[in-house]
Amino acid sequence: MERRIRLLGIFLMVLFLGLFVQLNRIQFLDASSLANAPGNSRNITTQFSQNRGAILTADGAVVADTVKSTDVYKYQRQYPNGPLYADISGYDSILYGKDGIEAYYNSYLTPHSVTPNSLSSLLNPTTAPDNVTLTISSKLQSVAASALGKLRGAVIAIDPSTGAILAMYSNPSYNPNLLSSHSGTTETKAWNSYIKDPSQPMLARAYRRRYPPGSTFKIVTSSAVYDHNPSLAVKSYPHVSSIALPDTTNRLHNYAYEVCGGQIGILLAVSCDTGFGQIGLDLGASSLASEAKSFGFNQTPPLDLYGVASATFPSAASFSTRLPTLAYSAIGQYDVAATPLEMALATAGIANHGVIMAPHLMSEITGPQANVVKKYQNHPWLVATSAATAAKVTSLMEGVVRFGTAGGIAIPGVAIAAKTGTAQLNLLASNQSSPNGNDNWMVAFAPANHPTIAVAVVVPAQPGMSSNSTGAQYAGPVVKAMLSAAVNTSSVVGG
Amino acid sequence: MGSRIAAMGQIPQRANVKRYTRQRKSELGMLLLASGITILAFLLASLGINSALPSNLIIVLVAMVALPLVVHIANLFLAPYADPALMPIVALLNGLGYVMIARLDPQEALLQGVWATLGVIAYISTLIIVNRSEILDRYRFLLALSGLLLLVLPLAPGIGQNINGARLWIRLGPVSFQPVEIAKLNLAIFFASYFIEKRDVLGAMGSRLSLRESLNIRILGPIATAWIASLLVMTLERDVGFSLMLFLVFIITIWMATSRIRYLFGGSILFVLGALGASNLFTQVNVRVTIWIDPWKYAQGIGYQIVQAQYALAAGGISGTGLGRGHPTIIPVVTSDFIFAAIGEEMGLLGTSAIVMAFLLIVGIGIRAALRAKSPFGSLIAAIFTMIIGLQSFFIMGGIVRLLPLTGVTLPFVAYGGSSLISNYILISILMRISDEGNRPDELENELKSRRSLLSRRAKTA
Repeated sequence: MERRIRLLGIFLMVLFLGLFVQLNRIQFLDASSLANAPGNSRNITTQFSQNRGAILTADGAVVADTVKSTDVYKYQRQYPNGPLYADISGYDSILYGKDGIEAYYNSYLTPHSVTPNSLSSLLNPTTAPDNVTLTISSKLQSVAASALGKLRGAVIAIDPSTGAILAMYSNPSYNPNLLSSHSGTTETKAWNSYIKDPSQPMLARAYRRRYPPGSTFKIVTSSAVYDHNPSLAVKSYPHVSSIALPDTTNRLHNYAYEVCGGQIGILLAVSCDTGFGQIGLDLGASSLASEAKSFGFNQTPPLDLYGVASATFPSAASFSTRLPTLAYSAIGQYDVAATPLEMALATAGIANHGVIMAPHLMSEITGPQANVVKKYQNHPWLVATSAATAAKVTSLMEGVVRFGTAGGIAIPGVAIAAKTGTAQLNLLASNQSSPNGNDNWMVAFAPANHPTIAVAVVVPAQPGMSSNSTGAQYAGPVVKAMLSAAVNTSSVVGG
Repeated sequence: MGSRIAAMGQIPQRANVKRYTRQRKSELGMLLLASGITILAFLLASLGINSALPSNLIIVLVAMVALPLVVHIANLFLAPYADPALMPIVALLNGLGYVMIARLDPQEALLQGVWATLGVIAYISTLIIVNRSEILDRYRFLLALSGLLLLVLPLAPGIGQNINGARLWIRLGPVSFQPVEIAKLNLAIFFASYFIEKRDVLGAMGSRLSLRESLNIRILGPIATAWIASLLVMTLERDVGFSLMLFLVFIITIWMATSRIRYLFGGSILFVLGALGASNLFTQVNVRVTIWIDPWKYAQGIGYQIVQAQYALAAGGISGTGLGRGHPTIIPVVTSDFIFAAIGEEMGLLGTSAIVMAFLLIVGIGIRAALRAKSPFGSLIAAIFTMIIGLQSFFIMGGIVRLLPLTGVTLPFVAYGGSSLISNYILISILMRISDEGNRPDELENELKSRRSLLSRRAKTA
């Protein structure tokens, strides 16, 4: 029997040897190919099982944070005020990836190894995420959303002296909680319904959508006058309802065939298209194009988000074959298109003595022990124009509120500089109004002498809008709400 | 009564019995080492999950030291010469298994702690009751009968219940139990005893056993019984793992006792026929073979569990993700059937190799005990019990790494499960008994023998 006992022992040993071999194959030789196998969701599980850092507003409101969950992922990302901040926060979706701050600051929000600071953390090396504090003011963000109400559109507010984005909202919005759900069905259902929705809830209109800026572009044309041909600033333009254009029989008409004219101050205040059209032709293509460029057109604003759209202005050369369009470009129409972000930046440039500060959402990134990991260093993006020009354009824009088209946004005791814009979408028949209205704009900053906020609002053409809509009518109340909230805030802070 | 006390008084004093043997001295050190490793792993796992220590820390730590110490003290009195390494390995396996279960499911860990304690009690009780291996030989029919009863118990309406398609469980109040775990030991003892007794008869038939002779009812009867019992388990209780275990135990026992290799082949053919039939008849068996051949094809369906286990093992790599740092809960029923994959994920190849090595060491110790046993019966029992624990651990580990189809057996001492723990503690206890007898110095053996015969003579005359 002894021999057979030994044989049994050898037999069992051979079996266990097989185990060793197979274990080495799975855990060593094939480990990486198994880990990266197409059906292996473990990487995703690991990624979504992390205690992701929080995203906070400047005043401490939670934009996104992570709570423990009982499912396989251990943690669940949540957005307490989901739709309000959706364009900023983005989402963190298993199926659809990341967007917004979640994507841009992912390396900070993802837990990474922490330098041990105690014996227990040395014995048990931990990873921890950083938290991202935004420049956003929760108050202004809420004001933006409630002021827009049910209107489709976008609001963006910037601190002109720093480039800090104070509010950025686009309506309609979406709920990032649904896209960040751990249930595949919830995610897919939400995503599909958002994608199919004609109102485009996932479109971040504030920085990803260009609209013709209309008359708000006249602040750039006005700056070009002072920078390139100051004599035009004292030229008086005739009171007419339309002007003849070179090389064509088409004429450029004023909105609703109004008659207007005079010097630049009154032209801007009443938003005289014939006057500014002629100014554009007088300035010439290269002056206007270079001014647009120095205000940020055809350049991508360095905002700390992915997918920022740049504003477009036709090249100077392109006007040589189609000179009439220069008149239209001078009033922000035809091939001119700008994101609300760009118009807010241009406005902020005027407000900040001609210097456009780099726009940013991140204020600071703090580590697990509240230590500052990274602080945003304010820096200029562009020198749009001279301080002198900026001062002159500011006083023109104040006129827009005092006796011009933006009179409705006046706030007693606060000097406001503003410009309305009403971009007609069927240009070549400008006497007809569009069935869904116009793209309605307003840009403004306040207080005019020492600005703390620059705002751009667009309420684009949409179903249910009156066909003769204007910027003052649709964007004006939103701008006024934003300015009053900001000025009140700053006066409280100052007091 | 009075005469018995008087008789006891005449027994010579055991002056030459050394209680604190060499074996026990080295056992203590190794047991403490196993406790230390277990405690360290437990602390790391707790920190790994919550970065905090659990509230029941003190109780767990005390139990992790106390249980091995109790085992050691019991060995000191009950099996002083038994192998010193066996219980430390068992303690390590049980400890690491507990740590893993505690990390995966604290509720089950609580129960597992209770079962481990009951397992230690069962271990000590067995050492006390089976104070000589011959006792098992003597009560073989009682053991066989109770074994068969346990085997069919889950089929009884009311207390039997189906879990994961297998009807292997009985439920008494809140406690589920797998009687087949105990039954396999009883039946193995019976067969060992039966064939040791019949060995001489079979040996007398000469080396050239004719076909007619080998179909003798004395041999065929038990094989047929074994085959029927195995098929019964497979068909009625739907468990291919234990069925395979039982049948292998039977045919290898016959082979070991008779040295007739044809039983091994004949038995294997019978089993393969049975297995093929079962595979066609029962979807559960069929499914296991299908997902063994190509699990990737069914990764989102019937193969999900085994595929996730492969990913878990791969995620562990060489050194593992660290205790509490992996995602083993992705694998369904990870604490019982797939705990080995969880260990592979969090402790890596080093951890799985350690577990395989531990079982290999148990096999080695068991084989040594079988070779040193004082009686052929003890030798056969030790060999068969070694085979049971070796094969069972190989079946489940091999099933997880896809060396063979998955069988729903548990990893001894490591996996969650009360019946498995208790049956394995009993098994180890008997191995310890046989090892103790084998290592006993001859003079002590003779003395014990003379004392026993004296006692029985006195008892007869009284």
